[in-house]
Amino acid sequence: MSETVLESPKETRYLLDPAARRSRMIRRTVLLAVGLIATFLLPWMIYPPVAMDIAAWALFAISVDLLLGYTGLLSFGHAAFWGSSAYVTGLIAIKSGLPFPVAILGGMLAAMIIAVPIGWLSVRRAGIYFAMVTLAFAQMIYFVANQWKDVTGGENGLQGVPSNFFGIKLVESDSFYFYYVAVLLIILGAWAAWRIVHSPFGRVLQSIRDNPARARALGYDVEKYKLAAFVLSAGLAGLAGGVFAISHGFVSLQELDWTTSGKVVLMTVIGGMGTLWGGPVGAALIVLLEDALATSGFDGIGIITGSIFIVVVLLFRRGIWGTATLLIEKARKAIVSRKRS
Amino acid sequence: MGITKRTGTAFATLVAGGVLLAGCAGGGGPSTGATSELTNDKVVIGVLNDQSGVYKDLSGPNSVEAVRMAIADYQEKYGDDAVASEIEVVTADHQNKPDVANTQAQAMYDRQNADIILDVPASSAALAVSTVAAEKQKLYINIGAATMELTGASCNKYTFHWAYNTQMLAKGATGLVEDGGETWSIVYPDYAFGQDMLKSFSEAVEGAGGTVNESIATPFPNDNFATFITKAQSTNPDVIGTMQAGGDLINFVKQFNQSGARDTTTLAVGLMFITDIHSLGVEEFAGTTFTDAWYWNYDDQNREWADRFMEITDTRPSFAHAANYSAAFQYLEAIQRAGTDDADAVVAELEGQKIDDVFLRNGEIRADHSVAHDTYLAKVKSPGDVKEEWDYEEIITTLPAAQAYAPVQESCSL
Repeated sequence: MSETVLESPKETRYLLDPAARRSRMIRRTVLLAVGLIATFLLPWMIYPPVAMDIAAWALFAISVDLLLGYTGLLSFGHAAFWGSSAYVTGLIAIKSGLPFPVAILGGMLAAMIIAVPIGWLSVRRAGIYFAMVTLAFAQMIYFVANQWKDVTGGENGLQGVPSNFFGIKLVESDSFYFYYVAVLLIILGAWAAWRIVHSPFGRVLQSIRDNPARARALGYDVEKYKLAAFVLSAGLAGLAGGVFAISHGFVSLQELDWTTSGKVVLMTVIGGMGTLWGGPVGAALIVLLEDALATSGFDGIGIITGSIFIVVVLLFRRGIWGTATLLIEKARKAIVSRKRS
Repeated sequence: MGITKRTGTAFATLVAGGVLLAGCAGGGGPSTGATSELTNDKVVIGVLNDQSGVYKDLSGPNSVEAVRMAIADYQEKYGDDAVASEIEVVTADHQNKPDVANTQAQAMYDRQNADIILDVPASSAALAVSTVAAEKQKLYINIGAATMELTGASCNKYTFHWAYNTQMLAKGATGLVEDGGETWSIVYPDYAFGQDMLKSFSEAVEGAGGTVNESIATPFPNDNFATFITKAQSTNPDVIGTMQAGGDLINFVKQFNQSGARDTTTLAVGLMFITDIHSLGVEEFAGTTFTDAWYWNYDDQNREWADRFMEITDTRPSFAHAANYSAAFQYLEAIQRAGTDDADAVVAELEGQKIDDVFLRNGEIRADHSVAHDTYLAKVKSPGDVKEEWDYEEIITTLPAAQAYAPVQESCSL
């Protein structure tokens, strides 16, 4: 029963009304099917490495959404985890030649380990202070990577990261087949995020987001929950960063740069915070846009993405996904009420 | 159950189709040993550089124009006999970011079927493209980046380094030491390029019998150089060498002049393009010496080419523009000799080639794929001596190729 106390009003409807629950179930299945089909068709429609980029950024955006949308923490230093994992993944792959999923797992663990002290210190603050503390830590890691030339290659980056995969040449050398293997890791990550959000733990996070004082009063250790969310989010960001590193065969300081942190927040907000689906939508939009603009000879990529950001923030704050679901919901209600009358 | 079965079949069809499609794509790959044949029936030259940031002026869209000039000259030279009967230029902006360069290079080779990529300023971006070139087994001629790594530890069969490198830039220091600039302070930005430059310059100065009193690291990027300039002056060196580049260089020179250091000390600039002088104004740089890979007003041949360039672009070429022209033209010449644009055949034609053209004088493609050629020690003119716009440099000496370039790097094994 303690769970029902934590339900937001939106959830209550599903608890009380089996028909609503059934329709939600159908909706989710359809969405999942559409999402999976889109994921599998992507490298047919666009250039496979770009499809891989979209997938990696999508999971990265989901990891930020987990904090921003579901825990109410705006991390402005998530590049620290994406980038650290990219470097660790790259180093493992180069030095040991292990299959790439193992290397990525190593990178992901490294990101989570780094996230523990950073998270422990930063979750004690909220709002702008939290954002600034995470940014500061990310910058520190950036400078460590920049100076530690012997290991990270400094400005030149880690070159020639191999994508070993049990000697299967097709996956190792063809980006089309590589996508289908690597995207499974991304889907696994996205599934984990979904499980986290829809678990009792996820509900507690949402209650902390909405009313931290109340959550504390109910006996939840708010800091510990935030820290756990932070580390899990860092793990997902690390998973995405590792896939990105292997897919590019290359890791650079850009992965740790603050603009990377900014870009992923941009994707999350454009796609829609607190929706999970918003991240992939935002990632697809931004990556495709950057890809199209880079070959068009047009100067100001930043002008376009910045303008989109402004339009989204001013006109539909729920982001693309959030606004779309809201409109569909409104339309559904309108139809239902018309039917009744 | 019916539904799952149907989706299962659909999925299987999809996968089968995918295998088929990929198989077709694979079939169009590089053909080995073919003669007088072009892959994809045309030669595609990719120019990947900075089209929007700090290196836009010195390379950027005008590098693309230079490549087009090379294509026009090649077509004029061979007419109907041209092996490269159809030539296409594709271009992209790498924003000086290695990750963007990496993605764009992959896309150029795979999607746009580029046979070669040219230019790529910024060392980190250049190394990224070099890795992709090796992986895809397609050519890459670097022009815009200075790092020795390209023809050192990170060298590969398909990468060439055309215009300049940090060691050759440092050779200018030798001339300065011989002219009496024996004690040096070197100010350098603390990242890969700056550190490489410091190493090369220290070796050059000490090799010529000079001493480096002090080497001072600055943050990168940086706006305020006042303390570093004061520190550099503290040992009263004959020469202060700055390894800053682009916007930082312009800031450094402004503050160097304002501090009055200019009256007592010679300023040597590690890497400077004529476009830098143009943007800050010749009076700010007057008297500065630096190593130049090429100067548009050096002789009639250069000037004639620069005039053609000006007709198209309305500006004078930097050495990077001329080098892009040279690289594109020599690449097409190699295709002509090989009778095919097959990468391995073209590499074989280029290797060991001795070249004399508008950019390369006494040029030679060496065993590590670095291109050695005559370079120049230049001095920026004082405003009174400038006879026309862009007439900024006085060439003090010409360094013969063998002197300007250090021996082939042993760390490179192709």
